[in-house]
Amino acid sequence: MQTQETEKKFIFPIGPQHPALKEPGHFEFTVDGEVVTAATVRLGYVHRGIEKAVETRNWVQNLYLLERVCGICSHIHATAYCLGVEQLAGVSAPPRAQAIREVISEMERIHSHLLWLGVAAHEAGFDTLFMYAWRDRETIMNLLEELSGNRVHYSANVLGGVKFDISPEQAASIRKGMDFLEGRTCHYIEEVLHDPALLERTQGIGTTTREQAEQWGIVGPTARASGVARDIRVDAPYGGYVQFPVEMVIDTAGDLLARFTVRLKELLECYRVVRTILENLPAGDLTVRMPRRIKAGETISRVEAPRGELFYFLKSNGTDTPERIKVRTPSICNWESVLKLAIGHQLADMPMLLVGIDPCFSCSDRMVIVNRGHDNASPWTWEQLRQYGIAFYKNARRGQ
Amino acid sequence: MTPLDPNQVKERSEALLQSAKTVLGSWAAAIAAPAPNRIDVTLTPDDLERAVSTLVTARWGYLAAITGLDIGVTSGMLEVLYHFCSDAVIVTLRVQIPRENPAVPSICDKIPYADLYERELMEMFGITVTNTPSPTRLFVAEDWPEGVFPLRKDAPVQEPTIRA
Amino acid sequence: MNLDKVFTDALDQVKLWARLNSPWAVHFNSGSCNGCDIEILATLTPRYDVERFGIKLQGSPRHADVLICTGPVTRQARERLLRVYEQMPEPKFVIAVGSCGISGGVFDGCYNVVGCIDKVIPVDVYVPGCPPRPEAIIDGVVKLLGKLQGAAAPKPAAAPESSKAEVVHDPA
Repeated sequence: MQTQETEKKFIFPIGPQHPALKEPGHFEFTVDGEVVTAATVRLGYVHRGIEKAVETRNWVQNLYLLERVCGICSHIHATAYCLGVEQLAGVSAPPRAQAIREVISEMERIHSHLLWLGVAAHEAGFDTLFMYAWRDRETIMNLLEELSGNRVHYSANVLGGVKFDISPEQAASIRKGMDFLEGRTCHYIEEVLHDPALLERTQGIGTTTREQAEQWGIVGPTARASGVARDIRVDAPYGGYVQFPVEMVIDTAGDLLARFTVRLKELLECYRVVRTILENLPAGDLTVRMPRRIKAGETISRVEAPRGELFYFLKSNGTDTPERIKVRTPSICNWESVLKLAIGHQLADMPMLLVGIDPCFSCSDRMVIVNRGHDNASPWTWEQLRQYGIAFYKNARRGQ
Repeated sequence: MTPLDPNQVKERSEALLQSAKTVLGSWAAAIAAPAPNRIDVTLTPDDLERAVSTLVTARWGYLAAITGLDIGVTSGMLEVLYHFCSDAVIVTLRVQIPRENPAVPSICDKIPYADLYERELMEMFGITVTNTPSPTRLFVAEDWPEGVFPLRKDAPVQEPTIRA
Repeated sequence: MNLDKVFTDALDQVKLWARLNSPWAVHFNSGSCNGCDIEILATLTPRYDVERFGIKLQGSPRHADVLICTGPVTRQARERLLRVYEQMPEPKFVIAVGSCGISGGVFDGCYNVVGCIDKVIPVDVYVPGCPPRPEAIIDGVVKLLGKLQGAAAPKPAAAPESSKAEVVHDPA
């Protein structure tokens, strides 16, 4: 992280609270005029000590703990954990359970991408799109609730399988939902590719080349938008993805617009895969018996969360409590890229750059310190930075 | 991009494993294969930088994570695992270091984004990562007491206050 | 007749009416997994549309009547939470949303976590759930308004429309 030695004053914000940005945070931008010259990050406001807590809870209790690492991608955390424990125990969940896990994973990806679309639109000042995206997201929330009983934290997984089945009536509801959302997503793709205000804030902004993406260790749709062909579902298919594969969505432009289009096209792929699975759901049991004490050993479990590669390292000592669980979430990989990318961009682009990596709020920090080199320091909240970006581009359009 | 079928994945994995062994095998202390798609390469801390350089130069995969392990107070050692992934294959470089004054060299000059992982390693286990670019706290609070490393086995553990 | 008192009483009534009819809320995440936060955010969106009840979620604590807080309060967030609370003008009220805010939830006992919001600031309303539904969160705010009025919680003017009315979870 490069910094420049200058005599500049820091401006401290009061706080990070904002309705669309649900997380306390800490970014520090040093600016020279309008251009960012340095950026650093301070994480830790959501650090709860989960990796330590798992060592005093048994394997079953940890399922519920690890689901709550992140509210937006709880199922994928649980899936990664279950796959790891099942590998250690030498068992494999039945095919029907794996297919159901995949359906829920893809539905989670749908809800996460629609959530992101709304938040990204909000950052750009496009609140109408935010409201529409979140209204449409309610369709998938209803479906997840119909299946599991809860809108968030569906707890579909148990060690050895899944907790609930998908009945034919539920499958019919899901198909209807997929059809509706597919129509809406096509509309959003049109919007994103043609709306001039949105294009102004996304096209050619935050361009990351493929080499840069690899050098900075970016994962997920953010990397695929720069042409890095990395998707765990395709490279290392796990669970249901062996029987029901997905196609990787790649773009080569590498700018913010590419990040929008990759996520929207991934949504289309999600709808397709969910329909395919529902038509070909394997018959059979939902769970396989799991021992209480898991055999000693080490294993690694990698899955594709909505934000990128989720990496779990599990170590068992033969008891009913884990020895060590290491969780490497995708967002931590992508922070570095934002800090590097920020340099040379305008301050007004910072909100969009940050939202472009789809930061999983449970490991992100969002307080802003803007170092402007003025004598009178004034506080900046995230909302101020967001409004600053919107006003900047509005004025640019007016030619002022 | 069309997905590969399981046989193609297996063939690619075998080729990748072979290339990793070729690149590292000649001088690494020990290579174990705990799973069909994984190899564990045990190294001394002095060999770590060379191993990472070799993988980076050969463009073999990417660094996915760095895991710190406390293998027990009685063993007197800590372990650091560097996980490199390429498609479905995972190569883990394992380095064991003494609990008293544990130190590993930084790999940030070869892999710049490793710095967040190294910061986490330092604050959670008390391992000194020499020459890491920004040795400041990452996750742990500023007022967390010095010298208490949460993920070590001998760190004080809080019990849940509410029991069913 | 004390005209000053009549005036100040009338002013208090107007303030109470304004607070009851248009409470301004600020939201703070003290370390939550975000589940509760996205449900709070969902209350703003068209399906629940909490703004039609006058509840406004906005950014600055200095203009807020109500603090909606989630999360088990991590060590780093504790100071910030206190500062946010102090910046709010009197009278101020706090709603703790989610199990983590009430008891620490699944994070009870974790080393970096204080445990519950009422160990840091006084809480007026607790909304349990992991996470609570948006209807439950709105119900929590309505109960708070009832508390303000010093009477039993009034029924909302128009119940939130839910496309699956039969699946409403009892927020109590």
